[in-house]
Amino acid sequence: MALPQSLRTSVTPLELELIASEHLIEIVPLITMEKTAFISGAYGPLRPPAKCRIPLWMATNLKLKKKCHIVPPEWLSVDFLQEQLTRETSRPEFSRLPFRFAEIAKVILDVASDDVQNADKIKSLLKDLREARQAKSRDGLQKLDHSELSLPNLCSMEINEIRPFFIQSMGILTQLVREPSAE
Amino acid sequence: MDNDYFSIDAILAENQKIQCTFKVDIPDMGHLAGGSDRDIKSLTKAPIPIWLAYIMLFSDWADFTIPSPFGTRVRNALKAEPRSVKLSNLVGAGGLWYGFGKLVMDILSEDQANGISEVLTKAFKGRLLEVIDQAQHFAALGPAGGGGPSTDSAQSFREGLDGTERELFALAQESAKRMKRWHEGNDKARR
Repeated sequence: MALPQSLRTSVTPLELELIASEHLIEIVPLITMEKTAFISGAYGPLRPPAKCRIPLWMATNLKLKKKCHIVPPEWLSVDFLQEQLTRETSRPEFSRLPFRFAEIAKVILDVASDDVQNADKIKSLLKDLREARQAKSRDGLQKLDHSELSLPNLCSMEINEIRPFFIQSMGILTQLVREPSAE
Repeated sequence: MDNDYFSIDAILAENQKIQCTFKVDIPDMGHLAGGSDRDIKSLTKAPIPIWLAYIMLFSDWADFTIPSPFGTRVRNALKAEPRSVKLSNLVGAGGLWYGFGKLVMDILSEDQANGISEVLTKAFKGRLLEVIDQAQHFAALGPAGGGGPSTDSAQSFREGLDGTERELFALAQESAKRMKRWHEGNDKARR
């Protein structure tokens, strides 16, 4: 089965979101449910008001039916993100962030912004963080070499964004540079 | 743009002509030089495409000089400011300057090939950042926009892009557009 040209270059953001939705998060359920077996594993039992860890896809589903409240993970808070932002802007390397933070943050902010404190502030912090890291990957582009390029601590969404043209540029550079040394 | 026999980019790049000086007489091939002569005498100059020139140089039937798209004038301009050179002017619209340079490099001797490879890589790296920046800027505008806000120099840079750079531009613009669409979409209905 051949993929259309536009999908061949990289994974789409929606697909990354789907993969990230497998991540477990905590919820406060509003309904009762026995321990149920799903394809990815058995989750539950849900006994309100005790917290429970379930996959993100299930949490979004319940939340949209108003059957739970989502507890945002510790890194999705104003303090943590502010600290990361200052670290990001003061150092030339990328700071450590959960690998799929962009997707998880977007999903949670979309469906459960009322469960998150200071949702607007968090949104703007995430945006600033994203822009700071994008600026750094632009600088990394300057150091582009034909053989290797190391950008540690990049997160899944960012990798996906830069993958197509980084690989193509490195390919072109390989052909332009390697030729004389092969003589 | 490989040495792959089937690569369309390589075929297009090979279509460029270079100036060759024939060393031997070739009877009945005057039409190649575009003139009305019946034969080609030795020491005639004629432009021939690279795919033909390669064999002639290998069999030592002709000599050639470094073609003008890689001459001193272009090299100095690139050294001064890589982004201001219009590569598409040098090889015709839709041309492949980098591909052409690679083929020339293959034919040349070691030192000259190193020189050309340096010129090519420096030019590529210098222009790459500008290509990406413009691509991301254009991803932000909708399909209808794109004429107004760009300044003159940005527009002329885009017109001067070589074929390979255009592909990179399209790739970067596509991924930036996808990201933007995803970030701003909020399909609660879909969930």
